[in-house]
Amino acid sequence: MTHTANDPLLEEITGPTPGQLLRKRVFGHQGLLIGVIVVAILTLIAILAPLLAPHDPYAQDLMARMKPPVFLGGTWEHPLGTDHLGRDYLSRLIYGARVSLLIGVVAATISGLIGTAMGVAAGYFGGRVDAVVTFLINVRLAMPVVLVALAVVAILGGSLTVVICVLGLLLWDRFAVVMRASTLQVRQREYVAAAQAIGASTPRILLTEIMPNIANNLIVVVTLEMAHAILLEAALSFLGLGVQPPTPSWGLMVSEGKNMMLFEPWLVLIPGAVLFVLVLAINLMGDGLRDVTAPENRS
Amino acid sequence: MKHTILKSTIAAAALAASTGLAWADKDTDTLNVAFTKELENVDSYFNSSREGVVMQRAVWDGLIYRDPETNEYKGNLATSWEWVDDTTLELKLREGVTFHNGEVFNADDVVFTVNFVADEANGVKTQRNVNWMKSAEKVDDYTVRIHLKDKFPAAIEFLSGPVSMYPNEYYAKVGSSGMGLNPVGTGPYKVVSVVPGQHFVLEKNENYHDSPKGQPTIAKVDIRTIPDVNTQIAELFSGSLDLIWQVPADQAEKLDQMGQFTVANESTMRVGYLTMDAAGRSTMNPNPYTDVRVRQAINYAIDRNAIVSALLKGKSQVVNTPCFPSQFGCVQDVTTYEYNPEKAKALLAEAGYADGFTTEFYAYRNRDYAEAIASYLNAVGIKTDFKMLQYSALRELNMKGEVPLSFLTWGSYSINDASAMVSQFFKHGSLDDSRDDQVLADLNVADSSTDPDTRIAHYSKALKRIADEAYWAPLFSYNTNYVFKPSVSYTPTPDEVLRFTTMTWN
Repeated sequence: MTHTANDPLLEEITGPTPGQLLRKRVFGHQGLLIGVIVVAILTLIAILAPLLAPHDPYAQDLMARMKPPVFLGGTWEHPLGTDHLGRDYLSRLIYGARVSLLIGVVAATISGLIGTAMGVAAGYFGGRVDAVVTFLINVRLAMPVVLVALAVVAILGGSLTVVICVLGLLLWDRFAVVMRASTLQVRQREYVAAAQAIGASTPRILLTEIMPNIANNLIVVVTLEMAHAILLEAALSFLGLGVQPPTPSWGLMVSEGKNMMLFEPWLVLIPGAVLFVLVLAINLMGDGLRDVTAPENRS
Repeated sequence: MKHTILKSTIAAAALAASTGLAWADKDTDTLNVAFTKELENVDSYFNSSREGVVMQRAVWDGLIYRDPETNEYKGNLATSWEWVDDTTLELKLREGVTFHNGEVFNADDVVFTVNFVADEANGVKTQRNVNWMKSAEKVDDYTVRIHLKDKFPAAIEFLSGPVSMYPNEYYAKVGSSGMGLNPVGTGPYKVVSVVPGQHFVLEKNENYHDSPKGQPTIAKVDIRTIPDVNTQIAELFSGSLDLIWQVPADQAEKLDQMGQFTVANESTMRVGYLTMDAAGRSTMNPNPYTDVRVRQAINYAIDRNAIVSALLKGKSQVVNTPCFPSQFGCVQDVTTYEYNPEKAKALLAEAGYADGFTTEFYAYRNRDYAEAIASYLNAVGIKTDFKMLQYSALRELNMKGEVPLSFLTWGSYSINDASAMVSQFFKHGSLDDSRDDQVLADLNVADSSTDPDTRIAHYSKALKRIADEAYWAPLFSYNTNYVFKPSVSYTPTPDEVLRFTTMTWN
């Protein structure tokens, strides 16, 4: 009994399983936990918006405009007050979460697909493919995102679909750069050479050898770009070129409250704060996931 | 509670910032004013903004002047006038008037100015202000005749408004761009400095003639361009501005509650309205707006009283006609549409749109009003695809007939005659969305008759038909809030023109 327990080899074998280790890393990472919880809550709120919103976010009541929120002397009828057209602020905020998250997820997915495909191809194949991709990345980096987005939206007119497409087609540069660099590193590894040696097909190598080992970088970029897209949507809506009224969007709410900023600062502060929390949580989540999944932290 | 905190914070900030500054402006006799928009050109014939009108009235004079309180026409650069025939007006000019640069004002200046602006090739920005004049002719040094293209009963009104007199020798030498940088007129204020994008400095004209505008008292006016209203208010608090205007209703109300500034509200001639593609010019197919029941439904759908009392406030009023009620010929006994969403839905159902329809909805200013209107339309089943454009872009689209429904406004250039609005939009021009021949016929008679009763009778017929057919949904008139320090004394006029001449220090 005692003999086996003291056997260092056996101890290693009966030590914590990889799953236990992972769980330990996840639950020991505060930033990740906070980020995941906040993002999960906001996602739930967005999905359950019709059940949670106390009022119709589009119902206007001009006789009850700019009622203050509860903590500034308002009533529970409108816990966060009403906007400049008498619409319930909490309800608009809840529905606004849908717009923000939808744009964040879809835009990051579109740009992720484009950027990853380009980056991995460039990193793995090198040569002419790499030259072309690098050229495209440079072209894309030479264009200021906000300016291009403004121009396109100004020509096509602002709407949810246009904003999602524009952001999705513009934000792939970081995916491409990071994926290319990661792939370049990974393809030198022995296991890639081994896979090639046993005659694995290129798609198989890309999917089972390369992708899992660069996924942690991808996750970080996805979260960064999600946050980026959400902020850009807010900026475009603030400028009146994004989501069009009456669709509730946090950027639009900030823009509509801006005129009364001196007298009713909460009109800007509430949507601004929620936007800040969401973007912060997504970034915390991204950082946390990277820490937890990074190969160097696994041992 | 909140307001007390806010008030005291602002008061403290204002006090801290303004100790030593508080009355400095009165001491230096300089009035600091903010404009929201930059002028394209100070030359009054080459800009179309309200700020340009303010500058024009301060720097230049017209031949005639309309007293904004009594609406009586008084001689300004002309001392008397009479109609020689229906299309010829003879004016006696005031003697002893000089321009700011010393040039003597006489018949040559009038002849030059009229002939210059009436020539379309010279590209005066708002042709309607000048295109009724054919030419001018000098009779002697202080008598001129203005020849009209056609009978034009509103001539006196236009001569007392946008048609200002320019110095012939100076203008011939420097042209419009020179005039824009170094304006010279006969007005109560002369321009001492124009720094585009920053500010204009005006100085009292010590030799101002005995004009019905009155004599200026404040020595210097410094006008800065500050596009953001919040910045303007902050500067008012800190003491670096004395007067701001065109302050939105909500902010004006708050400033009034603070009790530290004078908030004056005055109505303006600007009328907000919805125009609908009744003639079916747009590509919308099927086009619901060609059906009178749909247009009436839109009229019934909007609670104009609520919009006026909650959003515009002040001296705004509900308007039922495509003209401002004070304008000559703008009769008010037309069909009116009260707020009745049930009736609106019933009319839509009758027209075959029981489930409503989706329409593009354009606007160029007051996004909050437009949103409120859209929300009322949504409530009766009309879904809106909202598009906010710049004025020039929307106007261009509208001219091409590509706008099914839009929220627009018109200020009539403060001309107190119905022709300045209804005739602008219902005479089959490119901005006419209805193209009604009967309306056109009546407006043609009303616009060119010199008999007031005939004019009223025909405007009345035209306006009634427009209301019955619900070509527009006239909404409300605008108002302007003027907010100034207690050291300034000023009574605004209903024509939305800021008059520095009538401002004094308390």
